[in-house]
Amino acid sequence: MIEVEVADHPVQPEIVPSIVVDHADIRYRVYEEPQLSARKLVSRGFRSRRAVTVHAVKDVSFTVGVGEAVGIVGSNGSGKSTLLRGIAGLQTLSGGSIKVRGEVGLLGVGAALKPSLSGHRNIVLGGLALGMSSEAIEALLPEVIAFTGLEDAINRPMKTYSSGMRARLAFAISTLRVPEVLLIDEALAVGDKQFRAMSLQRLNEIKEQAGTVVLVSHNLSEIRETCDRVIWLDQGVVRVDGSADEVLAAYESDG
Amino acid sequence: MVAAARRVANDLHDVQARQPLAAYLRGIWDRRSFVWNVALNELRHRQVTSVLGNLWHLLNPALNIGVYFLIFGLLLETDRGVDNFLLFLTIGIFTFQFVQKSTMDGAKSIVTNKGMIKAVRFPRAMLPITSTVTELLAMLPAVVVMLVVAVVTGEPISVRWLGLLPLLVVQSVFCLGAALIAARLTAHLIDTLQILPFVFRLMLYASGVIFSVDAYVERSGFVHTLFVLNPLYCYISIARWAIMDMPLRAELMVSGGVWAVAILTLGFLWFRNAEEMYARD
Repeated sequence: MIEVEVADHPVQPEIVPSIVVDHADIRYRVYEEPQLSARKLVSRGFRSRRAVTVHAVKDVSFTVGVGEAVGIVGSNGSGKSTLLRGIAGLQTLSGGSIKVRGEVGLLGVGAALKPSLSGHRNIVLGGLALGMSSEAIEALLPEVIAFTGLEDAINRPMKTYSSGMRARLAFAISTLRVPEVLLIDEALAVGDKQFRAMSLQRLNEIKEQAGTVVLVSHNLSEIRETCDRVIWLDQGVVRVDGSADEVLAAYESDG
Repeated sequence: MVAAARRVANDLHDVQARQPLAAYLRGIWDRRSFVWNVALNELRHRQVTSVLGNLWHLLNPALNIGVYFLIFGLLLETDRGVDNFLLFLTIGIFTFQFVQKSTMDGAKSIVTNKGMIKAVRFPRAMLPITSTVTELLAMLPAVVVMLVVAVVTGEPISVRWLGLLPLLVVQSVFCLGAALIAARLTAHLIDTLQILPFVFRLMLYASGVIFSVDAYVERSGFVHTLFVLNPLYCYISIARWAIMDMPLRAELMVSGGVWAVAILTLGFLWFRNAEEMYARD
């Protein structure tokens, strides 16, 4: 069992850092109209596009060691997803830095590659995009298809899938090639009991292979089963960072 | 624990830092089977979605050629100075459509693949590259058709035909650059998809697709210089020289080559400059 200190304190020297979040600050502007259209440009001009600045993550610091599994809890809008996107390099920081060892994979809800193509085809595409060889994907396919439990549905277009089926497929694709750092954003929530059990088992396997897992979830039992450590985000600020039992107890009693 | 040792050997890297160019290019090269796989599948998919399938790649330009031949060749008689107007049109339209289709497909490549971009990390330039390769593969039967029309309309078989190979390479380079630029433009401004067809309609007339520029424009004049500076006119002229031995001046070959290299370099760097943006909504 790894003992982890509260945020801003360096981790113990024997822990090899996998994710180092150092005073990360994320602000982003949301526009009324997400996609810029020429009509709006002409009628309102560039500058007058109505924009709101969201300060989603405020001066957050923590370090995650290699092989650690960390849960992130917090109410809706507390900055959990934005922070994950920041770690994945998909969100520009407005301050501080985030460093990661190795490759990062981000698994989100309903991550559909190409909805018009079959599940089978999506697995192949996902693997190829990850840089795997066709042979390697071909060799993994039976196992992956078995994991998704989709059976004959695997040959149906992905757009015909239920959200749970989609979650199974997305999870299978994301873990085709296990990244050094796997970030999961509520992706297991829509699955059924059986899928959740299978994916938690898979997460533990990843941990054992010295992969680092960060799990954002509102399902506290899911976090309790997977994570040794929990970070509680509140309005973009780290409220508590500590052992899972301790933080979850505090979080639950906060109501 | 062997796995752990391997993983730990990696250095911590800043997620905000841009990948060096060499690493980015290597990332693309490592995923080349993605390009082939998706391109071939796309062509197969097109086959399924319409009754005549891939035949439309040839039927569409063939019908276009028929329409233009009727209007310009027979009604307006713009076939001035061209002996084999049918072949002249065929080469013009196929060569033109290669650029048009690659640019349009490139323009759509980011916006239609948002799902994949969000789910998996890969060099985003893979998408316009894949759409261009798809169009290049679709262009190959068109080359055969051009040569068949040449033979049927009485053009002699010639070693000049081999000139089509380097032309195809140079033109593909240009198409890829145009696709990359169109992809980023569309990612910023979705209306690009509405504007591009008009750009290409204008280019159709400005590239001598349906009439012989030499028969209408003074050779040394300013307007002629504009044609020489138009890459599409350059590629079409080279193809007409190769297949039907129409006169070709060296400056058109130079201009076409310089355009290809310049547009690809510029397009690639400009596209990559917004690499992080493509995953956003």
